[in-house]
Amino acid sequence: MAMRRQLQLNTHISAKFNQELENLKHSVLTMGGVIEQQLVNTLVALQEKAPSLAERVSLNDSKVDVMETQVEQECMRIIAKRNPTAGDLRLIMTVSKTATDLERIGDEIARVARLVTLNKIPDSELVFGGMLDIGNRNVAMMRATFDAFARQDDKAAILAHQQDKDIDRVYKKVLEQTAAEIQLNPGDINQWMDVLWAIRAFERIGDRCKNICEYVIYLTYGRDMNSSSMKKTVKKLLK
Amino acid sequence: MLKLFEREILSVDEISKAQTGIDVRDLCVHLNGKLVLNNINIRIPKNKITALIGQSGCGKTTLLNSFNRMNELNRNHQCSGEVWINDRDIYNRKERISRLRTQIGMVFQRPNPFPMSIYENVCFGLRIQGETNRRKLDDSVERALKNAALWEEVRDRLFDSAMILSGGQQQRLMIARALALEPEILLLDEPTSALDPLTTLYIEELINELKKQCTLVVVTHNMQQAARVSDYAAFMHNGELIEFSDSDSLFTMPAKQQTEDYITGRYG
Ligand SMILES: Nc1ncnc2c1ncn2[C@@H]1O[C@H](COP(=O)(O)OP(=O)(O)OP(=O)(O)O)[C@@H](O)[C@H]1O
Ligand SMILES: [Mg+2]
Repeated sequence: MAMRRQLQLNTHISAKFNQELENLKHSVLTMGGVIEQQLVNTLVALQEKAPSLAERVSLNDSKVDVMETQVEQECMRIIAKRNPTAGDLRLIMTVSKTATDLERIGDEIARVARLVTLNKIPDSELVFGGMLDIGNRNVAMMRATFDAFARQDDKAAILAHQQDKDIDRVYKKVLEQTAAEIQLNPGDINQWMDVLWAIRAFERIGDRCKNICEYVIYLTYGRDMNSSSMKKTVKKLLK
Repeated sequence: MLKLFEREILSVDEISKAQTGIDVRDLCVHLNGKLVLNNINIRIPKNKITALIGQSGCGKTTLLNSFNRMNELNRNHQCSGEVWINDRDIYNRKERISRLRTQIGMVFQRPNPFPMSIYENVCFGLRIQGETNRRKLDDSVERALKNAALWEEVRDRLFDSAMILSGGQQQRLMIARALALEPEILLLDEPTSALDPLTTLYIEELINELKKQCTLVVVTHNMQQAARVSDYAAFMHNGELIEFSDSDSLFTMPAKQQTEDYITGRYG
């Protein structure tokens, strides 16, 4: 079974290094906070059919890109200056990968927002309701993921990770409903393509959150979550 | 624009005159007829840590020594140019060396305590200056030892010989000795090269604390150390200053290929 290590950030001889790692960790959480708000705004825009709010989400996406660049640069600076090893190095790599996933989540959110801006929200109550459903599940999973990351809580990360199964299930269902709608009105296929993209974007957000949960596990155990030695650990944690 | 990380470090060309601790202008030094420093121009920022890096023999120690005119101990020494500290050119003929030496502290590679008590080692400089008031000496010794993070370890044995201290303690004692004179500038020539990694980190942390009180210049062969402790870094080669910049830039994106080759270990 894999060995669990608690990463102690505040124990370096260099107080400044402690501070830098704290700030780094905090920076992805800040970024996560902005992303979460973006997602919530998008869902409200979708539900209320409010293009102006969706427009604001699109504009805000560049903020997320800038944040990612800043996090990457800071990771690079710390690696160059501090020569981090072991848990510190894993933390920095984790932060860097998380920032990348967050930036991609931002793009997916912007894709859904565009659907609202372009006034291409589907008329079908079923599909529309399915989109809101998957979107709300995204918010829940995202919150659980960030929470697990903030507390570096392995069990919470595994629980959040599992939420993706529900997202996938709802995704398949909405996909089937959409396919049925398309068959009914094949002439509107272009309209529906955008809807398909948006649904796909929701599904992707779940995948990205899953990645972040895996990083938390990697950080705690130094192992890939899908490795055989980790599987036993995961089972035991969930008992 | 949104900023996730606060950088309080100015780039070298943003440093104003008031923020300059040592201003070196057109400095050339010959030792025994050999050109050792070739036209150095550098503004060492005040209350910051500046690292001097470069291959052995490139002139780091010589440059450090020119900040307190230690090179003059070498009889065959010739120098031109100016070194300004607090609006005074220290190479001006009217400057008194003794004044300079109290203004500028120096710590060497190997700790060199005098064969006397810990107490006497620390107040050595003050005694030379003629201080005899016991209260004042006591206070200075305590303050210096505290600033050098050595007080807790030696407070009960101030009058024991300094020679029985460990290497790391001796090096901190040397720092305390320099600090007792409350110098504005502290020069450190490979201060941790004789110490173990953990003690080294303690000294580095101490150095970092000291910049509140003084301007520090550190010569080090340990690239990683230079990256860790310094705010600014100067890369020298063959008596010339190749690149001087804030350490964040120098160690992540040096401007000169020569610097990049050296810090990445590609130097021939
Ligand atoms: N007294 C002297 N007479 C002649 N040359 C000297 C004298 N002292 C130093 N040098 C030469 O000056 C050059 C610079 O010496 P310096 O001690 O400043 O180098 P350094 O960068 O500090 O090297 P290291 O990293 O090995 O300490 C060297 O080439 C050295 O041989
Ligand atoms: Mg030297």
